[in-house]
Amino acid sequence: MKRIILLSFIFLSSVSFSSEVYIFKSKADERRFYELIHEVRCPKCTSGSIASSNAPVSEDLKIKIAELINEGYSNKEIKDYARARFGNEVLYDPEINSTTLFLWFGPFLFLAIVFLGFIFRRKIG
Amino acid sequence: MKNLLRFFILIIPIGGILFFYNILTEDKFYPGASFKNTSVPQFELLSLQSKSPLINDDLNNEMLLNVWASWCITCRIEHGFLMKLKSEGITITGLNYKDEASDAIDWLNLYGNPYNYNLHDLKGSLALDMGVTGAPETFLIKNGVVLVHYSGEVNQGIWDKVFLPIIQDNEMFK
Repeated sequence: MKRIILLSFIFLSSVSFSSEVYIFKSKADERRFYELIHEVRCPKCTSGSIASSNAPVSEDLKIKIAELINEGYSNKEIKDYARARFGNEVLYDPEINSTTLFLWFGPFLFLAIVFLGFIFRRKIG
Repeated sequence: MKNLLRFFILIIPIGGILFFYNILTEDKFYPGASFKNTSVPQFELLSLQSKSPLINDDLNNEMLLNVWASWCITCRIEHGFLMKLKSEGITITGLNYKDEASDAIDWLNLYGNPYNYNLHDLKGSLALDMGVTGAPETFLIKNGVVLVHYSGEVNQGIWDKVFLPIIQDNEMFK
């Protein structure tokens, strides 16, 4: 019984302290919001999405994203908003462009070099 | 073939050492600085002291915008340097960030006021629009364009290396 009461405290506390702050026009918008806040990194933290952070800047960014969704902004526009202000690293999934090319394909390049080295080594042996 | 392999075994650590030596000793490497030349977003805030409304047109043509708060410890450390800049004739406008007006005014009365006036951004809305992640942060602004955005404490070293070159290039504060 005691355990059940303790557990209910845990579950109820998350209900009473989260959500209901953000109001959306539709369920789809709400889903978009929760997807987006998991894709945007907290600019103030070492690593963690703004969904997991209650740093002041993350709270502000969540409110702003909710506002932008209600104003009809697309996901891409919202991500661009965040990126223009906090840099490429604010997005967990960086876009492929000239500066992130090495980031995306560097590991494969490295793997290829190691693989080639391995083949040559065997031939010498 | 064997020589090629030896060459690679040598070149990888040497390359690594050179790469990190380069990054760690580079004079221009300041993680807090960005130079993206964005415009100041539209805003409408109240003045901290006089409570009169302020908009973009009220900003000086050549100025520093300093994000600060009375709860911010590093702002207290930075404060002395801002007073020095003010005495050298540099216009500094304050962006008071997520702070109670009374606390902020007490802080200025206690330690001295380096600002010509302060925008009171209680909710942090302008700060968010400008990409502020905390306090202190400093913007160098000319005709509504942000030339330098520096996150962290501005001191003599940062001023000389990050701000002064841009100020000289743009012939500001003459």
